[in-house]
Amino acid sequence: MNPAGALTPILDIPDDEVAIRLRGVGNRFGDVVIHEHLDLDVLRGETIGIVGGSGTGKSVLMRAIIGLRPPSEGKIMVLGHDVWSNDPAERKALDARWGVMFQDGALFSNLTVRENVMVPLTEHTNLPPKLRLEIADLKILMAGLPPSSADKLPSELSGGMRKRAALARAIALDPDILFLDEPTAGLDPITAGKFDALVNELKETLGLTVFLITHDLDTLRDACDRVAALAEGKVTAIGPLDHLREHATGWLSDYFGGPRGRAALG
Amino acid sequence: MPEQEAQFTIDRSGPAPVLRVTGDWTIHTIGQIDAELRPVRDMVEGRPAIVDVSGLMDLDTAGAYVIEKALDSSAAEPAQMLGKHPVAGRMLAEVRKFTAGCDALPEPVALWRQLLERIGRSMTQVYEEMIDTIGFFGETVVACGKAIANPSRVRWLPTFAVAESAGLNAVPIVMTLSFFIGAVIAFLGKTILQDFGASVFTIELVGFAVLREFGVLITAIILAGRSDSSFTAQIGSMKMTQEIDAMRILGMSPMEMLVVPRVIALLVMFPILTFLAMIAGIAGGAIVTMLTLDISPTLFFNRLNDNVGVDQFWAGMGKAPVFAFIIAIIGCRQGLNVESDVISLGQRTTASVVQALFMVIVVEAIFALIYMELGI
Repeated sequence: MNPAGALTPILDIPDDEVAIRLRGVGNRFGDVVIHEHLDLDVLRGETIGIVGGSGTGKSVLMRAIIGLRPPSEGKIMVLGHDVWSNDPAERKALDARWGVMFQDGALFSNLTVRENVMVPLTEHTNLPPKLRLEIADLKILMAGLPPSSADKLPSELSGGMRKRAALARAIALDPDILFLDEPTAGLDPITAGKFDALVNELKETLGLTVFLITHDLDTLRDACDRVAALAEGKVTAIGPLDHLREHATGWLSDYFGGPRGRAALG
Repeated sequence: MPEQEAQFTIDRSGPAPVLRVTGDWTIHTIGQIDAELRPVRDMVEGRPAIVDVSGLMDLDTAGAYVIEKALDSSAAEPAQMLGKHPVAGRMLAEVRKFTAGCDALPEPVALWRQLLERIGRSMTQVYEEMIDTIGFFGETVVACGKAIANPSRVRWLPTFAVAESAGLNAVPIVMTLSFFIGAVIAFLGKTILQDFGASVFTIELVGFAVLREFGVLITAIILAGRSDSSFTAQIGSMKMTQEIDAMRILGMSPMEMLVVPRVIALLVMFPILTFLAMIAGIAGGAIVTMLTLDISPTLFFNRLNDNVGVDQFWAGMGKAPVFAFIIAIIGCRQGLNVESDVISLGQRTTASVVQALFMVIVVEAIFALIYMELGI
């Protein structure tokens, strides 16, 4: 299905065309309701940008999808497998099929960049050590890092390089889905632009589905096929960026119509 | 879908060699084939080589990498493709950009060189640590001097908070351990002195040992482990979250805000804890002597008073402020030296406890020498 025509959270297409399928997902912290009856379908091979004001639970949603925090209710299917199923085989089928880049990189601070990238390779493959090193180096280069950074510790890298290193680790196993939490936050506009281009390129090469949380309007414009807006605990609007801008209401119209929105989108 | 084994053949019959790849070439399958493929690296010479992908099934970048590696890397043009595959062409072209770089990466340093490097590094570190600690000691003395000259600038709230967490909360553990040490000394004294028919001297042994050495030493060791680790972790995590930088910018001195309260709190609480430790130690010794030697409490305390005396109490108590100061400044200094990564927090916390224990024992030995010369 063409992302340009997918304008509703729920799409009437079979499971195998969908990368992520959320149905009736609810999340609450005590009495505070973050999500309620949230539905969303992410198409295979698309880049979907998730936007929303602070506290709308973008990261909470991502954590529920990648199996870090159980949702209070609802069903989360990734690549046709139930993430929160009690059947360990279901969960196992998803191992090594997604890569996650956390907001601050979450690189292991006692390992060098190369060792960080080698962690998933060591855990999930039976590659000989030498080939493992070479594949790690390949991913580091693909993420746009200079070869000299491979032996550095994360604390010795700049913020932008740390994000690239985290991306290198996320794509180490050639995942089907890549989750990016605020990939360009804290980067200067030029580095952020390069990062967007890199994500696009990797998506093309690896045939990835990208689930991207961002506030960055440039990233929405340059890297995303569709944008989903979170508000009032559910997906209130979804579609290509232009469609969303034309039909923006409430928070979204402030978001796109504000000075920053106008500057970025013209 | 089960994985198909990755296989390859090289056909040199035509004008250009053909590398025929079949099966799945993904990161999960290329492990087995790498050993076979490695000897033929760069061996599919001829420019350009031809890759037959008609039998190829799944391919990812790792698979593309080993295929590309088998081809002549010096060839200027990419390999020609034979057969159809949805992603092989794009994948090979993409990976091709980086394969040369993977060879150029530096080899890991040999183990023996790493070892030498680490030894050298630690030697200079020990030296720098020493200089740093002495410098910090001076800085703390100055800060404390200022605080004494102007007591209104002392942060009393954190001081009392530290006094509670590092001092008051340590009372049960300090007293319990001291009690048992006192009891053990009494048992030991009784066993050995009995052979000489001098078991009544167990009382003096308990008195000397607990008042002069163990009361203060047990307290110091417990606080070195308990408070130093918490000082370092507290200050260290504030350093990691840039709270200390924020303090400096707001014109507040971390010395005044963090170090002086901890030093004052320990200077006050340490002697109190030592006193309690002495009481518990004597009590432990007294109970054992009374039960095993049939000595009455009156006799025990009379002998203690006559033969041990209050001098020994002061000899022990005199060390307390010194230990308190050592423990407080080592904990604070290590905390302030934490950098922005998690490893350094762990390293610094370990260093803080180890250094404090080391210094306590060394200073204890120095005190023993001084007291001996003074004839106390």
